[in-house]
Amino acid sequence: MLWDAFAGGAEGRWLITFEGVTKRYPDGTVAVDNLDLDVPDGKTMVLVGPSGCGKTTTLRMINRLVEPSDGRILLGGEDIRAQDPARLRRGIGYVIQQTGLFPHRTVEDNIATVPVLNGWRRAKARARAQELLTTVGLDPALAKRYPHQLSGGQQQRVGVARALAADPPVLLMDEPFSAVDPVVRGQLQDQLISLQNELRKTIVLVTHDIEEAIKVGDIVALYHPHGTLAQLGPPERLLGAPADDYVAGFVGFDRGIRRLSFFRTDGLSLSAGPVLPATTTVASAIKTGEPWLLIVGSEADLTPRGWVSAERLAGLDGGTQLKDVATDGFGHTFTVGDDSLRAALDAAVLSPAGVAIGVDGDGRVVGMASFDQLRAAVQAAQAAQDALDARDVLDAQAAQQGQSPGATR
Amino acid sequence: MMWSWIPSNWSQIWELTRQNAFLGIVSPLIGLAISLPLGVVAARWRWFYPPTLVFINVVYAIPSLALFIALIPAFGLTDTTVIIGLTVFSLCVILPNVVAGLLGVPASVKQAATAMGYGPLRRLITVELPLATPVIIAGLRVGVVSSVSLASVGQIIGVSSLGYLFIDGEQRDFPTEIYVGLFMVIALAVVCDLILVGVRWALTPWAAGRNRVPGSRPRWALATALAPIIQERA
Repeated sequence: MLWDAFAGGAEGRWLITFEGVTKRYPDGTVAVDNLDLDVPDGKTMVLVGPSGCGKTTTLRMINRLVEPSDGRILLGGEDIRAQDPARLRRGIGYVIQQTGLFPHRTVEDNIATVPVLNGWRRAKARARAQELLTTVGLDPALAKRYPHQLSGGQQQRVGVARALAADPPVLLMDEPFSAVDPVVRGQLQDQLISLQNELRKTIVLVTHDIEEAIKVGDIVALYHPHGTLAQLGPPERLLGAPADDYVAGFVGFDRGIRRLSFFRTDGLSLSAGPVLPATTTVASAIKTGEPWLLIVGSEADLTPRGWVSAERLAGLDGGTQLKDVATDGFGHTFTVGDDSLRAALDAAVLSPAGVAIGVDGDGRVVGMASFDQLRAAVQAAQAAQDALDARDVLDAQAAQQGQSPGATR
Repeated sequence: MMWSWIPSNWSQIWELTRQNAFLGIVSPLIGLAISLPLGVVAARWRWFYPPTLVFINVVYAIPSLALFIALIPAFGLTDTTVIIGLTVFSLCVILPNVVAGLLGVPASVKQAATAMGYGPLRRLITVELPLATPVIIAGLRVGVVSSVSLASVGQIIGVSSLGYLFIDGEQRDFPTEIYVGLFMVIALAVVCDLILVGVRWALTPWAAGRNRVPGSRPRWALATALAPIIQERA
């Protein structure tokens, strides 16, 4: 079996390698032009670009739905043409936009497709299907339904379950979430990310949506319109250091803000801020001299209740407790450590006090971040990232010259 | 109308009905058996289909009696002559449905099947043909109904069928016999059609409208079975 040669291979190896691959159609159209591309094992690579750029053709060459005109493709070190196409395909999961579910088979039989092709007994394959329904976040009670009885999002999840059924090392996804509404799309993307954290498949995903690419990709391959790569790298590098104007334009004008999604809030310095329990009186609140005060439940219950301005307190009776004062709300908080600087910045922008509230995993206030503190954190994170990128570029140059032992194939 | 004629001649009426049913059912089944491979070829190599369709339409334009007479020198005044003739006619209505059914299978489903690792033959048998079944059976229904009806023409060349009741009734100037023959032909066609609706129902448990989402209101079973007939006849 093709995979045996690769099993237990060294960390960081390439699982799929394109070597000078060209696809030329009989009418002369060049869909993919002399492509060299390495897909690392266990990572999600997103192919993104305008329609007609060759990204889908690239994907379909991996499972031989399309045969290259030139060059070769290696999977686990072996030329994919060495194997019977049908057998090759059973080792590669495939998910498409229109789901391609079999309308005449129940959900469980759809999922069981490849195991049954591989000779599993139907009962065992169905048991596996049940298991996978849970994996992709569906109720196993849906097993006996037919695809047309499911919503678009549910169908797409079944499509993913079907692709995973035979536990293939590689998953190809062709615009998997493009046909569903934005809310469902977001859920499916989140699901894919958490599945991938658990399963560590090698995923090649095609999309025309750069946001999706940045969200789900470990590596993004951005295509020029005619089958060549414009930039290849982790999403934060596309945002932080676009290779040229084409990439910068494709990535979008607010890439600076979006790049903040990749910076953690670990290093953000927080101030204690004016946090007062709801039992505090207006008089003692005014005495703090702060323009904005954050009210929390009590000394013990540090969940935020809302901001109140000193201005409003000034007009109230000094004996009133803060819990009886109308607040301006608190927008949203960010979880220190878990959320990105983008979330923290957003929290500050939406806060009436202009300060982001940092909370812990249980929603208790741990500190405040002002715009100044956020700016310092952003600058530090950017400097660190730029240094990292510069080192990667040097490494890549060294690898091209064959000097880095880590880069041998 | 002489009702007493019916019971006294029932065994003959029944025998003629049986004969008629045999001719009218076997022929479209043979037609189906020929249409399936032809349809697969036509759906796969599309250039093959237009000339085939032209040829089929020309054949379909031949009056049934003329076709029977043309076949007599080779096969004589036998069931075979009628069956060949009816097979050719039913082929004309079934083949286009086989092709349409196969071409109607969504491209995404075919692509997914290939990408899952189906070989071409397995994909045809386990994915494409099941999905084409409703359209193929729709063609078969027309084929069976028209064959059952046309089989009576075979009587003119001496092959026994319900057509006997028309000819005999006309010669004896006895309308009851003609009415009974007409009624039996129509009843036979309707029964065959209903059976095919049942066959389709059994073969396509997945068809839209069939499956209630658990918890929804149950339907009246007979209304469900009859709905497609009513729709298609309307």
